[in-house]
Amino acid sequence: MAYDAPTDWSGTIGRVQIGATGSEGGTRKVSYRIGGNGGLPFVEPNDGLTRPLIAYELCDDPAFWSPLVTERLGATAADLACWTRAAEMDFGADLVRLYLTSTRARGFDDFDGIGTAVRTVLESTDLPLIVEGPNEPAIESEAFRRIGEAGEGERLLLGTAEAARYRSVAAAALAYHHAVIAQSPIDVNLAKQLNILLREIGVPHEQIVIDPYTGALGYGFEYSYSAMERIRYAALKGDGDLAMPMISSAIDSLTIKEVRDAPPGEEHRTAVAWEVTTGLSAAVSGAAIVCVRHPDSVAPLRAALEATWGSA
Amino acid sequence: MALKALDIYKLLPKKNCKECGSPTCLTFAMKLASGKADIELCPYLDENAKAVLGASTRPPIRLVKVGVGERSFRVGDEFVFYRHEKTFYHQPAILFRISDTWDEATIAGVVHEVRDFKLTRVGQDLLLNGVAVANDSGDPAAFGRAVAVVEANADLPEVLIADDPAALEAGLAHCGTFRPLLDGATEANAEAVCALAKKHGAPLVVRAPDFEPLVALVQRCTALGVADLVLDLDAPTPAEFVERSSAVRQLAIARAVPELGYPVYYDCSKAGELATAALSVGILKFGSVLVTGPLSHPETVAALTLRQNIYTDPQKPIQMTPGLYRIGNPGPEAPMLMTVNFSLTFFTLQGYLESTRIPCYMLIVDTEGQSVLTAVAAGKLSETVVAEAIKKFEVESAVEHRKLIIPGYASPLSGAIEDATKWTVMVGPRDAADIGAFLETEWKG
Repeated sequence: MAYDAPTDWSGTIGRVQIGATGSEGGTRKVSYRIGGNGGLPFVEPNDGLTRPLIAYELCDDPAFWSPLVTERLGATAADLACWTRAAEMDFGADLVRLYLTSTRARGFDDFDGIGTAVRTVLESTDLPLIVEGPNEPAIESEAFRRIGEAGEGERLLLGTAEAARYRSVAAAALAYHHAVIAQSPIDVNLAKQLNILLREIGVPHEQIVIDPYTGALGYGFEYSYSAMERIRYAALKGDGDLAMPMISSAIDSLTIKEVRDAPPGEEHRTAVAWEVTTGLSAAVSGAAIVCVRHPDSVAPLRAALEATWGSA
Repeated sequence: MALKALDIYKLLPKKNCKECGSPTCLTFAMKLASGKADIELCPYLDENAKAVLGASTRPPIRLVKVGVGERSFRVGDEFVFYRHEKTFYHQPAILFRISDTWDEATIAGVVHEVRDFKLTRVGQDLLLNGVAVANDSGDPAAFGRAVAVVEANADLPEVLIADDPAALEAGLAHCGTFRPLLDGATEANAEAVCALAKKHGAPLVVRAPDFEPLVALVQRCTALGVADLVLDLDAPTPAEFVERSSAVRQLAIARAVPELGYPVYYDCSKAGELATAALSVGILKFGSVLVTGPLSHPETVAALTLRQNIYTDPQKPIQMTPGLYRIGNPGPEAPMLMTVNFSLTFFTLQGYLESTRIPCYMLIVDTEGQSVLTAVAAGKLSETVVAEAIKKFEVESAVEHRKLIIPGYASPLSGAIEDATKWTVMVGPRDAADIGAFLETEWKG
């Protein structure tokens, strides 16, 4: 480049390991070290090196999932092992994110079941795994313990810690050496505050991935986009409590009006256009992992990310 | 670097003629100093003053107008690198690319699509901006015919894409008075193309494969009398585009390289199968005129929504007019849901309410566009605001019951609202996605 743009950045984003190979004590064929950036994407050339990863999201109880996805997948969605294999083999994801939606049922008490679900996914794919635990305070302590235990040695990324409830997930991460997603509502200061809370109970920065919460495209995505830029910018200016890689999942993408009310025959293409546009945009604003749910979203998103970051 | 208003004033003619649009030369000088006016607005400047003032007083990125009339668009005049620093002002134009090898009906079809496409979101009409006609045939006569078809079908801004000045001239014969953007000037054809741009008063794309030749070419074109330039960074991949346009934006707003202080052009169709990805990064990373092959309906909707998001002013949330809104055809026993006039809150809740298929009312109160959480914290949402809205919008004559559902995040106000309105308050969910379940269990139950 003939002209170097002026930057005064000194900070570097820390690296977080997700997944563990055989030599690292796990059974994954690959493990990732996300983060490590010294700039915003492409503002400094050294940031173009690692392509953001694509996590394909699936769940253990499809009753709580988008009908657009479950109808499209048919029997595959009803069989967690099948669905997981498809995520790796057919859709081409970099990692799998399991939502334990079974825990949302009223009066949930099948803790053995969620341990089994985590093990099923681990046995059905060689990819690193993100596991999303329950939202219900009454069951989360036991649930996260079972999840952590089932994935011991595999260096899971566990979700989700929030300012009001982070102890159970943090305890599981510490006890079984997993990483944690720290989610705060679209605000750089709240993100920092939660990272400090986690640090104070002993979760090191190398085990935290920031989730600034991603609103769907057209439904607050602009706030998430700027929140991610601000978090990254603050870290590059030297704020160590924000110097973690970020994950972005626009979980409402498949339920918004544009997708729900798409003209007949266009529902799937609308869903894919939404997920791909959001995922690419989140990656451009600094996310290291972007998540999608529609099976057809992975390939075009991968092509877009590879075109922008290279295939490394 | 930047001059003070008084220094600039000394160089002005001090005639106070008002022809620049400012009441006095001093106010014009103050506008120049803050980058809010263009030096060329003054018709009486001598060459010396122009040379001194030149690029140091104009806005860091020149405002360029393309097309004429209702659908014309302006790009440039940006001041920040991150949207959160202030805002992005002029959203990028998106133009569909038409080939002069297509038959008349195909060209007319795309022109009609661009002319008629309208997406209404959060109360705004989102439009495509125009068409770009490409001289793929290499034949000036074919190019002229294609431009004539476009002109016969719509009054839309155009980009004329041709390396051959003869082809541009053939196109300009049909649209030369409508300020089409010419794509464009290169090292090889700059003289001839600049002559055409100057003759027709048309803005001009300047293309070069690296910054040094680009700066040299910009200098050449401005010396030839073309002031309205748009930069094509000639990026071979979307990655290169982000890298180059990021650098151009930083250098331009810092006024470090005045020759880069122009809007950026990106022909996304050059990215082939990745054109839609190229379009997204063009929208996100400082593209101002974006050309793409015709997009499918879902891709168009997603692209225009992304553009709307990125170019929404972070300091001024889009607001709804407060009032009583109906979902379906609600009767006197229908649920009454109160929320704030932040447009995102409104449209999100509206979408979920529509999907419940339960007719109901939405009472939108004035919180100056703040979301529930921030309005509660800042005191913009209070029992007084709610009581006044109930009175003003005659809510008590709309329903026979007196039960008001308030947002979950407004729960601290529930008692105060009950006291002030004498209505029974039901605290709804925090997340609009849960409103269907809430109405099923709490309202009906």
